[in-house]
Amino acid sequence: MSDGYTLVICEKPDAARRVSDALSGGTSHADQVGGVAVFRFSRRGEEFVVCAAQGHLYGVSDPSDERAVYPVFDVEWYPSDLLDEASAIAARRISTIRTLAAGASRFVNACDFDVEGETIGYNLLKYACGGKEKDALRAKFSTLTEEDLVKAFEDLKPQHAQGLARAGRARHAIDFVWGVNLSRALSQSALGSGHRYRTVSIGRVQGPTLGFLVQREKEVREFVPVPFWKVSGTFEKEGKRFNAGYAEDRIETKESAEKIREDCLGREAVAVAVRRSSAQIGPPVPFNLGDLQKEAYRAFGYSPSRTLQIAERLYLGALVSYPRTSSQRLPPTINYGGIMRGIGKITQYAAYTEELNKAELKPVQGAKSDPAHPAIHPTGEKPKRALDVSEAAVFDLVVRRFLASFGPSARRELAEVSLEVGEHEFRLSGGRMIFPGWMKYYGKYAGYKDVELPPVSQGDRLETVGVAVEEKFGQKPSRYNQASLLEKMEKEGIGTKATRADIIATLVGRGYVSGESMEVTDLGLSVVEVVAKYAPSIIGMGLTKEIEEKLEAVETGGQGEGTLLRETVRAIADQLAELSANEESVGHGIDSALMSSVAGSFVLGKCPLCKTGDLRIVRSKATKKRFVGCSNYSSGCRASAPLPQKGTIKTTSKACEHCAWPVVYVMGGRRPWKLCVNPGCPGKNKP
Amino acid sequence: MKCHLCEREAVSGLCPYHEAAKARVQSAYPLWVRAYGRMEWNEYLDNVKRNVQTGQWAKEIAGFLKGD
Ligand SMILES: [Zn+2]
Repeated sequence: MSDGYTLVICEKPDAARRVSDALSGGTSHADQVGGVAVFRFSRRGEEFVVCAAQGHLYGVSDPSDERAVYPVFDVEWYPSDLLDEASAIAARRISTIRTLAAGASRFVNACDFDVEGETIGYNLLKYACGGKEKDALRAKFSTLTEEDLVKAFEDLKPQHAQGLARAGRARHAIDFVWGVNLSRALSQSALGSGHRYRTVSIGRVQGPTLGFLVQREKEVREFVPVPFWKVSGTFEKEGKRFNAGYAEDRIETKESAEKIREDCLGREAVAVAVRRSSAQIGPPVPFNLGDLQKEAYRAFGYSPSRTLQIAERLYLGALVSYPRTSSQRLPPTINYGGIMRGIGKITQYAAYTEELNKAELKPVQGAKSDPAHPAIHPTGEKPKRALDVSEAAVFDLVVRRFLASFGPSARRELAEVSLEVGEHEFRLSGGRMIFPGWMKYYGKYAGYKDVELPPVSQGDRLETVGVAVEEKFGQKPSRYNQASLLEKMEKEGIGTKATRADIIATLVGRGYVSGESMEVTDLGLSVVEVVAKYAPSIIGMGLTKEIEEKLEAVETGGQGEGTLLRETVRAIADQLAELSANEESVGHGIDSALMSSVAGSFVLGKCPLCKTGDLRIVRSKATKKRFVGCSNYSSGCRASAPLPQKGTIKTTSKACEHCAWPVVYVMGGRRPWKLCVNPGCPGKNKP
Repeated sequence: MKCHLCEREAVSGLCPYHEAAKARVQSAYPLWVRAYGRMEWNEYLDNVKRNVQTGQWAKEIAGFLKGD
């Protein structure tokens, strides 16, 4: 053995602390090197130094730094602090790792075992440790528990094919080339048509994702409902009343609906068929990241990116396993019994684990797998600190899902009765749980409700008490929410489990989609419109999906990353040329959207006088002063109000409690102040 | 030339979005007539404009066609 120590590189500082504690049995000591915390200890006579990255410390950029220049097809990896002046931390960490590498004789990459982690570790070993990316060993683990970490370090693997790191680096390079060129082409066009610089961009996966949203947005905005009628009857047997729907769900004309009522009123109903059945409902499969994100959205309303952040904190606290996984499977190697024993020490789950332990522990397994990590599961460790509300919620969800996956099927009893009234048929149905099975463990997340079973037997005669005819209208399609959009991306195979949540958040951040409702803005519509016209591959599914498939092939060694990068460059070069040739009309399209997105944000609310127009901020052509006016001015509404001429006006969507005129915030000065725009508001003279 | 109803470019009075919405409003009319037995065009436009399910562009077009 040579003189130097083993240098271990972790992905995050919390992980570095856990690795050191686990390997040293709690005897490691913290040290500062170049202002960065590192941990030192010896294990079986061998010296260890553990340090951490802080996410990506290197990023790609183009060697020329001219933002007006495109296309850019040349990329290099740079320390992040050169790309972003705010990341001085990155510079410090790189310099610390460089110092530590000089005294090391052995290197271990202990970053998270997936594409991003491999890329982070690879770049540090290559650039900061003097080309150690091929010699370093790999520690592979799925939880940060002491047991798993010790096991991983006793079984260090050589860094052989490095497909993950190659695919990760290729993904970063491709996404950079894509983003930088599109952004420059679009922003440059908008600039050309006379407005000040504003970055308009669309990433590789964002394009098709925004495309899905726009497609749905058009359906919503063009929608014209069509009327139909719903018929239901009230029937009575021995003083008890039941509601039953007409066998045909939608009646297309008012006339036929009313005829059903006339035919049935005053006639007796006969129970002609009673169908009783029972249904088995199997337990839900273990969580992969997408499933957890969708379920947390359904149960708590958390956005996918928020859920990922929470799950990551729980992972760094060694409470749950690595969350960036596609797997819906729990292999026996995770030690079912050990985890159950651990969870059993948490009071609210103790009764459940005791019950489950009575039978052989065998979870239901899902179809999706992941070569690097099992499904998300609790580690069996008890929280050592108080969890905040959202962490406690996600932790409870993960534990209960884990327990539920070991539970037996639930059984429901179902009944459906057909009632005949002359030539018409009505249906009465109900269902109730007869054996809860796994639902008991999954608790409130199971979401099944009992509907009373009608105590009606075949041949029973019931009195028809009433028949209701209800006018209905077809429902407009619903917009995607963050969870259903994530599901759509998964189904179409674009993005990765690690990036989908961020892509959705970026669409909101860039102003293409408005927050919770996921309504596409005018800017979003225009970007898709112009890009689809001149560079359809950028917004279409085909190219992005093809790249995803080839990146997977890079991971498994079936494709070279250099070839893929060259192919991508070739594919987008043609598209960029089209955009460039049509710079003027591209710019014009984006520009008018930028303008109307500004105009749109200046609508303050409904006009309280004419009730149909919008009150908005307008500027007088004569005096150049701003004031509030109604959009129905041309058809006679004279609602208007003065505004302060200084400071930014921010809309609130709130109406004044005294007069129902819109309330705004005036920003500027020391703090924003709230203002009802109505000059004659009765609330104004009150103390 | 701008669209009658929004800031977008229009070829013959309406932008492609409002043009598409117009086609939807026109093609749904016979369905409403059939559903109620009879319905005048203007009454139909009023109903479409008022209905909460109607999309924004379709509402704007219904008002426009009625001459509001
Ligand atoms: Zn228009």
